[in-house]
Amino acid sequence: MTPCDFIALMPLLMLAAGSVLCLLIGVVKPGRYLYAASTIIVILALIWSCAIPAGAVLPGISITPFSRFSSAFLYGTGIIALLLASSYNSRCGIVGEEYPATFLFALTGMGVACAATDLLMLFLGLETFTFAFYILVAIKRDSDSGGEAGLKYLLNGTLSAAILAMGMALIYASAGTLKLAELVQGNSSQEPLFLAGGCLILLGMAFKLSLVPAHLWTADVYQGATAPMTALLSTASKGASLVALLHLLPLFGNWSGLHDIFWLLAVFSMLAGNLAALVQKNLKRMLAWSSIGQMGYVALALVATPAGGVRAAVFYLVVYAVAGMAAFGVIAALSDKDECAAIEAYRGLGFRSPLAGVVLAVAMFSLAGIPPTAGFMGKFVVFTAALRGGEAALALVGILAALIAVFFYLRIVVVLYMKPAEAQSEPVRTLDDSEMASLLLPMVIMILLGVYPQPLLELLEKILS
Amino acid sequence: MLNNYPLLTIMIFLPLAGCLLLLSLWNRTSFARSVAFGVAAVELVLAGWLYGAWRGLEAVPTKLSGYLLLEDATWIPAFGIRYTLGLDGISLLMVMLTAFTFCVALAVSWHAIKERVVLFLTLMLIMESGIMGVFLSLDLALFYLFWEIMLIPMFFLIGVWGHGRKIYSTIKFFLFTMFGSLLMLLAIITLHLLYAKQSGVATFGLPELLHTQLPFNAQLWLFAAFFVAFAIKFPLFPLHTWLPDAHTDAPTAGSVILAGLLLKTGSYGLIRFGYPLFPLAAHAITPLFYTLALLGIFYASLIAFAQDDMKRLIAYSSIGHMGYVAIGIAAWDPVALSGSIVQMANHGVTTGALFCMIGMLDERAHTREIAAFGGLWGKMPLWSFFFLIFSLTSLGLPGLNSFVGEFLILAGTIHKSPVVVVLSFIGIILPLIYMVRLLQEVLFQKERKPLLLADLQLREVAILSALLLLDLWVGVHPAPLLDMIHLPVQLLTGGMP
Repeated sequence: MTPCDFIALMPLLMLAAGSVLCLLIGVVKPGRYLYAASTIIVILALIWSCAIPAGAVLPGISITPFSRFSSAFLYGTGIIALLLASSYNSRCGIVGEEYPATFLFALTGMGVACAATDLLMLFLGLETFTFAFYILVAIKRDSDSGGEAGLKYLLNGTLSAAILAMGMALIYASAGTLKLAELVQGNSSQEPLFLAGGCLILLGMAFKLSLVPAHLWTADVYQGATAPMTALLSTASKGASLVALLHLLPLFGNWSGLHDIFWLLAVFSMLAGNLAALVQKNLKRMLAWSSIGQMGYVALALVATPAGGVRAAVFYLVVYAVAGMAAFGVIAALSDKDECAAIEAYRGLGFRSPLAGVVLAVAMFSLAGIPPTAGFMGKFVVFTAALRGGEAALALVGILAALIAVFFYLRIVVVLYMKPAEAQSEPVRTLDDSEMASLLLPMVIMILLGVYPQPLLELLEKILS
Repeated sequence: MLNNYPLLTIMIFLPLAGCLLLLSLWNRTSFARSVAFGVAAVELVLAGWLYGAWRGLEAVPTKLSGYLLLEDATWIPAFGIRYTLGLDGISLLMVMLTAFTFCVALAVSWHAIKERVVLFLTLMLIMESGIMGVFLSLDLALFYLFWEIMLIPMFFLIGVWGHGRKIYSTIKFFLFTMFGSLLMLLAIITLHLLYAKQSGVATFGLPELLHTQLPFNAQLWLFAAFFVAFAIKFPLFPLHTWLPDAHTDAPTAGSVILAGLLLKTGSYGLIRFGYPLFPLAAHAITPLFYTLALLGIFYASLIAFAQDDMKRLIAYSSIGHMGYVAIGIAAWDPVALSGSIVQMANHGVTTGALFCMIGMLDERAHTREIAAFGGLWGKMPLWSFFFLIFSLTSLGLPGLNSFVGEFLILAGTIHKSPVVVVLSFIGIILPLIYMVRLLQEVLFQKERKPLLLADLQLREVAILSALLLLDLWVGVHPAPLLDMIHLPVQLLTGGMP
């Protein structure tokens, strides 16, 4: 390993070392300062990935501009989630060093998944962060729903990991290599065994992205996990999975079945997610179902891969992640001992806690795709890609699903501003500085990307080519 | 000289800048009111200044024929979206109407809005920015952006400060509009892609997209999407059902802006984008457009007759009046189109005035039910005087503004389709029935409930006088306005300028 490789791998090393150190130091001197320390490590990793243009090609891993920026984005969501978790966890009695340590471990896995160049490393990266999530979802030991969510996530997750591993095994059996580059060149993509493996991998990835039909775990896990965790689960985990999926897509060459598979995933995810979200009474469940719908739009962009769909998918995911972060962030910031998740609990909140109200409202408008928020630009890019790819029917379904989505997202805004608070409702807790920062930052990004998305689009253009 | 300054950008973003100022005045409501009104007044002055200067501007040709001012800058080159603004006679009229209506709406809600005042003012100013943007954009993506932005403040305006079933109404309003808008978004993107395929240039600019070669079938589909979006705003029968609810439950300022401006964005969009972009399709659906407009006129008048609530009655009459605007656009004849455009402004002023007056009455009596009133002529002579005049205006009394618009529309349409004109003449009679009934019951009948009603204050008289002066001015001397829109109308309808 040359010094240059070392520099390029530094963010991953920092996170991994940070995770281990957290565990070690935590035994000697536990306390909340570990959260701050971990946050600083992630911030350093983020800055390092963005600022230092070092590349490295190692066996199984290569640091490219794409991997650098995608992992930087994931670290960014991680920072916000950590800021939220820090005070949330101390409020609801999650103490101990294992939380920040596992958290850093999850981010390491994401970084590995972004940089992987063979199937084994990819699997390792994906399962590393999923494994960390099994723990983090169930970390609130006295909570029944947390335990239930952890168990459901574990069972579903191991099944999907098994499917993923089986798919990779089949591909290895067919092509005799695990290196992505060799697999793409090896032109074996039309062999039945290879395709069977590929489809199994797609199913495994559909689970991670919670696309219908592999979505059923989503609502329960989102509801049961602690809110900062749900924030990370619904944004960073989705982002890392999408990046992994993008690594895998070239395997299929120009196999026409891929188009059909994504077509079906997109239609069913958009419709099922948005229709089910209509009837939810719990904000976290509603956001969970709506995130299934949102992932449908990512799949919609991927249907049109030849027509610039990849850029659209990544852009959409970034936009979605920012809004999701803001929405779950508000839930996390407002929750005291108990989680504040029933939609009715948000009555009149826009006036009782103006900052949280505005952030949640902007997040809802962004998720609904209404300008001047980033969500509109996301929808715009996705629909442009879909129409350019000749998917008019799918775009029409997407538009109708978006209309359904407008209704349930607006319902939250209505509750926030147009329904008076109940007389005996408890006072809203005041937010501390780190929470304010972690709510304001996504909101500012939402507005900025909605008004001027050009820099991000240029960046994506550059790193995806 | 004028074109050296980004005047159009200032027109659009001045109210937004005002919002930032308002946010710093969160607890000083009365000062905030003055600031908001001041911003709106500056907009009005700017609009008036543009009106004073339009002849001079016309003498200096811009890159696009018919346009007085143009602004153009790159914005999102990754999509080919540009920041293109343009002002021609039609948009100037709409800009003047917008600036004026916002002054009225802010003045009329001076005392009526007592809760969350600064938020209300902020939303009003955001909406003014959005509406100005709609009337000035020449880039379809930019237009769409403003088109959606103006919805959000209205959504809050009805939902937070409205009465009755306000949440139901505001969601209905938002969903109806979103349905049309989303279809239009798909159509805009498709048009953009088709043009990019033909010319190799990715753009959303209206001047370029006008040159797209579209087969009839494609035109029909794309136009259908635009048409639905604009017809919902218009509102055209049978897509009008959101309007009575939204109007009735909105606060007075909301109703004034809905009737005065938001409906006009529909007809403006059709004139600016729908017809020029898809002429063949537009020609093909003319019979349907006529039919829907006529059905709207008759249907709305009959329903208006059965209303107990004054505001709802005016809301339905509004649908009927917009039917005439629709007929003028459908005819696509220079005279009829001029009539439609003038009528858009007239309807904004007159219906806006009627909503203001009902709002004033509601503030005093806390009811809008026709059956509660009677004998107001004796109790509130000033109010009654204005109400009578505005009612007569909306009926199309010669010498007042609506007459000019309706006359031009029918005179222009008669060459194209005499049957439609004959039917619309019958349609003109119908409002007479319900308006005269309204006047008789509210103004002249014996008092039915003992209500203590004070007459208008100075502020209210000033608002109504301004509105009345405009009505009279356009009614007696419409020539300057017609001159102003003459060139763009000729260019649109393909006649010689």
